[in-house]
Amino acid sequence: MNFARRFFARPTAVFGFAVFLVIVLIALAAPLLFARGPLSIIGMPLLPPGSPGLLAGSDVIGRDMAVGLAYGARISLLVGIASTCCAVGIGVLLGAIAGYYGGVVDDLLMRVTEFFQIIPAFVLLMVLVAFLQPSLTSAVIGIALITWPQVARVVRGQFLSLRSREFVEAARVIGMGDAQIIFTQILPNALPPIVVVSSMMVGNAILTESALSFLGLGDPNLMSWGSMIGGSRVAMWVAWWTTVLPGLCIVVTVLALNFIGDGLNDALNPRRRG
Amino acid sequence: MPLLALQNLTIALPPHADRPLAVDDVSLQIGRNEIACIVGESGSGKSLTAHAVMGLLPRGVTITGGHILFQDIDLLKESADAMRRRRGPDIAMIFQDPMAALNPVMTVGHQVAEQIRAHRAISEHPALKQAQELLEQMGLKDAGRLLKAYPHQLSGGQRQRVMIAMALSLSPKLLIADEPTTALDVTTQAQILKLIKRLQAEREMSVLFISHDFGVVADMADQVAVMRHGRIVESGATRDVLGNPSHSYTRALLAAVPRGESHLPPPPDSEALVRVSGLTKRFRRGGLFSRPPAVTAVDQVALTLKRGETLGVVGESGSGKSTLARCVIRLLDPDAGEVLLDGVDIAHLKERALRPLRRRIQMVFQDPFSSLNPRQTVGDIITAGPRILGEDARQARARATDILSLVGLNPQTMDRFPHEFSGGQRQRIGLARALMLRPDVLIADEPVSALDVTVQAQVLKLLDDVRRQMNLAMLFITHDMRVAAEVCHRVMVMRQGKVVEEGPTRDIFAAPASEYTKALLAAIPGRGRTSNRPIP
Repeated sequence: MNFARRFFARPTAVFGFAVFLVIVLIALAAPLLFARGPLSIIGMPLLPPGSPGLLAGSDVIGRDMAVGLAYGARISLLVGIASTCCAVGIGVLLGAIAGYYGGVVDDLLMRVTEFFQIIPAFVLLMVLVAFLQPSLTSAVIGIALITWPQVARVVRGQFLSLRSREFVEAARVIGMGDAQIIFTQILPNALPPIVVVSSMMVGNAILTESALSFLGLGDPNLMSWGSMIGGSRVAMWVAWWTTVLPGLCIVVTVLALNFIGDGLNDALNPRRRG
Repeated sequence: MPLLALQNLTIALPPHADRPLAVDDVSLQIGRNEIACIVGESGSGKSLTAHAVMGLLPRGVTITGGHILFQDIDLLKESADAMRRRRGPDIAMIFQDPMAALNPVMTVGHQVAEQIRAHRAISEHPALKQAQELLEQMGLKDAGRLLKAYPHQLSGGQRQRVMIAMALSLSPKLLIADEPTTALDVTTQAQILKLIKRLQAEREMSVLFISHDFGVVADMADQVAVMRHGRIVESGATRDVLGNPSHSYTRALLAAVPRGESHLPPPPDSEALVRVSGLTKRFRRGGLFSRPPAVTAVDQVALTLKRGETLGVVGESGSGKSTLARCVIRLLDPDAGEVLLDGVDIAHLKERALRPLRRRIQMVFQDPFSSLNPRQTVGDIITAGPRILGEDARQARARATDILSLVGLNPQTMDRFPHEFSGGQRQRIGLARALMLRPDVLIADEPVSALDVTVQAQVLKLLDDVRRQMNLAMLFITHDMRVAAEVCHRVMVMRQGKVVEEGPTRDIFAAPASEYTKALLAAIPGRGRTSNRPIP
């Protein structure tokens, strides 16, 4: 397929896609590889990587870091993907309505969007999560709530320019209803930028979740990369691996997602088609 | 010695283009004090030929052979720097879209002065003074004030005059004009053409004029070269080429030029199907804090339309003709007036009540590229209307086969996407979409203005055939009087939202009542030629 060829023509996109695939596979296989779970204590604390049986060492209370990293990938990816799906859902719906109808509807929805954009996002997120009790669900809801405005803005812009195209007028002339025009005529043409923004948002959501967990606002019963860094910060100077390894995981994942986003942008951008 | 001589010029396109050579072995001479035209349809290579002379070819396009001799010096052997110094004093160029060629954040005066100062060591003030004199020579009134204006504050005609002033500021020996009037209204076009002709005579310079319009060519050129697929198929003195074309392609092109004469048999007599009266549409460009006065785009317009009849609505851009069409078909909500369709007023119906009636009025749009959804197959596009009305999908597809044949397309193309079709074919698909709903009224909004002249003639004929076969009432919007004359029984001339005059096409053309219509008719390019040309 033409699209796949354009996407994989970029070495960074290939790299990003491969790395992301490996991380997803590790996340999926974690319960099979490490049946005992990430929270069980298996030995002495702060053993360095490469100690017998401990590929990535142990953390401040003697839990296996490798198991933690594998299980952490599940949480990070889950939060990243779930919150992005929610944010894209809200953003596409509101952006589409605002851009398609314009006028008063647009003014109203855009003021709501701006309301979310002018509040310091992370502060809002912390308040929300603290209010809802720290859990996986509250993190997903919170991150979705602070990120949907950027999707809504992109979608609105697309709809504003697409709705005046003649094929949309033609759809109205043959008697098509608004919902059908929005979903079958305009949305398919607005997809490329939405896909690109979404891939970047997954990376950002992973970062945000890490920051929440680092501050102790993550789900206390789950191990994520952010909570691993947060829990180990006291040992940062004596046992570098306890913070550097989960940090590296975050960096590599987010980098991979950004490379994928860039690749999608080039592959979907019609101006770059030869 | 000719001023400019192209010798066996060959220009290659990038590897994945639709053909290997954009320009294939083209030879051409332009003498001093002479206007030479290259005429051809889109993709003929005429514009690339002109750009090659300027040394301004786009990336990926390369000259693979031949010579461009300017005063016996081969420009292809000149260094980039030497070419830069030639642009302006030796060769200058004007373009189709003056808005795109002018810098939007710099004043007009600054841009003209900058052009002069790039080549001559003079300071800002005398340069501005020269700029003002130039603008005055271009027939621009109030040149002093225009110097301080920004491009967006000027009209299209004023912008093109500024572009010509810039091009002529260094008194070039050769002016290249690449479709300089295509984006302009017909009356403005006539003025700009007259200006170029006058300046050419005054300055005794040579002009290489690129055009797709034989009317313009007839008015302007001493010499013509007809290009097709990168080759010159015929060239010679204008009178010989246009009056006695030797190549079949030239003859086909000339035959396709609308003659501006009406040969339609009168429409069948019947009751009026559409009656519009007092139709008014205002646009408000409201800000958050200010309410600027509304612009009345359509002002108290009345018209009637019978079955089997074509009413042409003609006017320049901004005359409100497109807004009128969009009010009749209810893509816009009119502010006042009524639109009676078979006695039912649809002007103020709510969308829900209107939807069942929409089938009866259908539209063919102007832009063949944006009027079809690029993500849907032709079959999906043209069967969408019937499926909304509850027609069985298989039956709709079966009918689509017939309709596609009717509009001259192979029904097997139903599973292809719009980008696989040419502009003319896309307009046929757009017509098929409209016909699938068995409409009573067809509105055609500039349906051929984006098409090449030969394709234009085919689509016009198709529209007229379909109108006759299906006994449609047709509202035909166009800026081109020649096109209106070909297909319209009656013509309505609009200006600034108002109807200037209305009547049978033949009467309006033979004896226009208003000064405005007279001016529109006088501005038709190549008018003198069309009447005495032998019909091929």
